[in-house]
Amino acid sequence: MRLVHNVVFAAVVLAAGSLAIQPLLAHHSGAGFSKDTKEISGTVKEFQFTNPHSWIQVNVEDESGKIVEWSVEWGSPNQLGRDGYRPSTFAPGTKVTIKLHPMANGALVGGFIAAKMPDGKTIGKWDGD
Amino acid sequence: MDRKTLALALSAGLLLVPGVSYGQNAAVTPFDKLPDWSGVWSMVGGTIFDRATQTGEGGSVTPGVREHPPYNAAYESKYMGHLALRDADRYPDVQTNCGVPVGFPRILNLPDAYEFVVRPDVFYIIAENGGNTMRVYTDGRKLPAKEDTWGTYTGVSVGHWEGDTLVWETTGLKGDRDNDSILDRTGLVLSDTASITTRMRKINQDTLEAKMVINDPKALTKPWNVTKQFKKNKPGLFLYDYGCAENNRNPVDTKTGKTFVLGPDGKPVN
Repeated sequence: MRLVHNVVFAAVVLAAGSLAIQPLLAHHSGAGFSKDTKEISGTVKEFQFTNPHSWIQVNVEDESGKIVEWSVEWGSPNQLGRDGYRPSTFAPGTKVTIKLHPMANGALVGGFIAAKMPDGKTIGKWDGD
Repeated sequence: MDRKTLALALSAGLLLVPGVSYGQNAAVTPFDKLPDWSGVWSMVGGTIFDRATQTGEGGSVTPGVREHPPYNAAYESKYMGHLALRDADRYPDVQTNCGVPVGFPRILNLPDAYEFVVRPDVFYIIAENGGNTMRVYTDGRKLPAKEDTWGTYTGVSVGHWEGDTLVWETTGLKGDRDNDSILDRTGLVLSDTASITTRMRKINQDTLEAKMVINDPKALTKPWNVTKQFKKNKPGLFLYDYGCAENNRNPVDTKTGKTFVLGPDGKPVN
């Protein structure tokens, strides 16, 4: 599952189309992400465009109708910035669907795979992981 | 002493200050004879330090993956212990706590971007990841005596140019003395007796190569040869600071080796 973390970032870079500098090493090693893929849909609460990793905070309605907050870990803003992403990429209030590798323990945290924006545009490797 | 005599004495004294006028040292290669290593570079391959001896498929944190340095029995046993912890997701990488440099030779085993700054008197390795910096003095000085080093993450390095190849010696490394300096996340370590000879040159327009010969009488049975390569990126890229502690939601417990994931409230979720 730790490899998944690197795979996530590799997928991000591949999808970004800028292959020059690959963030081959996540800041940390294993953090409990599974190999599974999960899809969440909700509203961006905050995009933490910060080192060592970026985090997308998304409010999602769970099965009971309760709003819960997901944390989605992404790459370093240094590399994401070079790939064309900005703090405004996930502006607060944006409706978004995100594919992620969820934590194996069921916590509301996952590793970013891809996102689909309100206009249908995708970020990352949406069609296959 | 009158003012004129004093001025002459001071001038003579300044000329004796080492390192001030490196350009007058015949051993120092002038700017116009130095190779062009400008630009932004990135390491080739993943962060397995010695890919040539890797067994197992995957990256440095993939269970079953390891390298085969010529460790003696004691350090092979130590490495096996680290690998077992790594396989259990409990081998701590202190870098995750944003506190200390990665040191040498790990500074040549990082993701993200690099700059290699060539000057007559010094060579700088500037790694965006970390951020980490290493200095190799090429102003003709000698390595300090062993008793004048005390073991640091990056050690001390002195080099010279042989044509287009920079050759440097590194010593004064702390190695695994304090269990806070590794070569990669498989748990590779060196000891505080390690010394490294590195030969770095451009092997083509877009590739830099660093060939290291690692000696470590406490840990190795023979010299360990490791080669790292770096590819040049497209021009015009910006590098940024890397504030590791800016929003570190993955601290590691160095006692248990567990990497935490912090939720939005700052509390671990694992």
